[in-house]
Amino acid sequence: MSVHVAPPPCSAATTPAVAVSNLRRAYGNRVVINRLSLRIERGEFVALLGESGCGKTTLLRALAGLDPIQGGRIAAPRRPAVVFQEHRLLPWDSLWRNVSLGLQAPAARERAAVALAEVGLGDRLDDWPRNLSGGQAQRVALARALVQQPELLLLDEPFAALDALTRIRMHDLVRELVAKHRPGVLLVTHDVDEAIALADRILVMRDGAIAFEHRKADDTTSIDRTALLAELGVLASPAAA
Amino acid sequence: MEQTAAAPAFDQAQTDAPQRTCAPMLGKHGLLAISWLAPAAVVILWELLARAGWISPQVLPAPSKVITTTIKLAASGSLLGDLGVSLLRAAAGFAIGASVGFVLGTLVGFSRIAEAAIDRSVQMIRAIPFLALLPLVIVWLGVGEAEKIFLVALGVTFPIYINTTLGIRQVDPKLIELGRIQGLGSLELIRRIVLPGALPSILTGVRYALATAWLALVVAETIGAQSGIGFLAMDAREFLRTDVIVLTIAIYALIGVGADTIARLLERRLLAWHPTYGAGR
Repeated sequence: MSVHVAPPPCSAATTPAVAVSNLRRAYGNRVVINRLSLRIERGEFVALLGESGCGKTTLLRALAGLDPIQGGRIAAPRRPAVVFQEHRLLPWDSLWRNVSLGLQAPAARERAAVALAEVGLGDRLDDWPRNLSGGQAQRVALARALVQQPELLLLDEPFAALDALTRIRMHDLVRELVAKHRPGVLLVTHDVDEAIALADRILVMRDGAIAFEHRKADDTTSIDRTALLAELGVLASPAAA
Repeated sequence: MEQTAAAPAFDQAQTDAPQRTCAPMLGKHGLLAISWLAPAAVVILWELLARAGWISPQVLPAPSKVITTTIKLAASGSLLGDLGVSLLRAAAGFAIGASVGFVLGTLVGFSRIAEAAIDRSVQMIRAIPFLALLPLVIVWLGVGEAEKIFLVALGVTFPIYINTTLGIRQVDPKLIELGRIQGLGSLELIRRIVLPGALPSILTGVRYALATAWLALVVAETIGAQSGIGFLAMDAREFLRTDVIVLTIAIYALIGVGADTIARLLERRLLAWHPTYGAGR
């Protein structure tokens, strides 16, 4: 099933990283995503918040082309890169072999070396994944996603399993790498503060559709946390699971 | 042979057993020494009893007698010739059986249709103790090389088949999904993810298969062989040469240990990445 269709030429001034219109996704009779439309520009960082089971991950998997869709249209220039909550490194391959997995290019090792250096693991090319900490493994997964030079990067709660300090370091690293490579990013997360820290735009998903949208006014201000929490139906404590 | 050194160690091992509190005092090396000295002591006891005439040489020859027989047979060249014949049979049977088991196992591991077509039949044949097929195999192939190689191959096929299927099924679907995301084609997916993921299980199958290969060979060679280790044993039986019989048993044991060592080395090399098999063990 071909989910990714090349966008029609001259549809807009700039080609978006992904454009979704009227997406519908159902498991049998249960509709998980209904008439959802979304557009992410290149270089734009979008966070997707919502309660468990609201369809966040389903949307991400549909964008990744992992699941069939039942209606609507997803237009992405190329197959996106994905980083999951688990690192999904191949335990039998060295780090550089992991990073270059699926890379159709000569000098795969050199490109993997550059990508690993970007995430601070340039000296561990021939090491095994089992020798890595959770944060390091997730950095390798990030390198594996970025080495493909994706136009769309999908992050499915990639920091959820990390400890608080490692998570903050990962936030800095991701922000820096996204600024450098400028893919469109969709980050699925439970963590309101993570979304505020990273995103240019925050979408709140409810009942299979996008219920609210918050956009950063400019680079100096950040999204209003109180307003966001109010809309999520939480008054005080963070909604992080 | 170090009778004075071995005897006290034997006593110590005996007195040590009921009270484990002494174990820490002996240390790791002490315990290792005891574990080797105990079987050595048994051999020495056997030698002494045989020399004293308590055990008839026709029942069980002295270990020293077995060693001199070994040297004599090796010098005449017949021992190496028979050993070579046996190893060749085992290798040929193993190669055929492992290939068949791997190909069938891979098909069934990947395809539900192949599973429906093949798996039940294979499981039914597997229920037969394969050695029970020997009379039938002799009727089909006669008593000769083909019959022996066939029996070994039969014994090897099933452990390889089962473990290959199991290994492929147990590959983490999340890693396969990742391979798809990274844009791997079907062949690349198999080469980079499915087979490496199934390898620990396949190598376990290889180890089991090596054991059954030897069992099959012993049985096949015991019946109507004109050469090989089994022939040596049956020939010796005619003349009540228990020393030669003990020698052949020892050779079977040594080759079994050797095969297991090779399998372990393979695991160490091929599964260096694996936390339980690799160099970290």
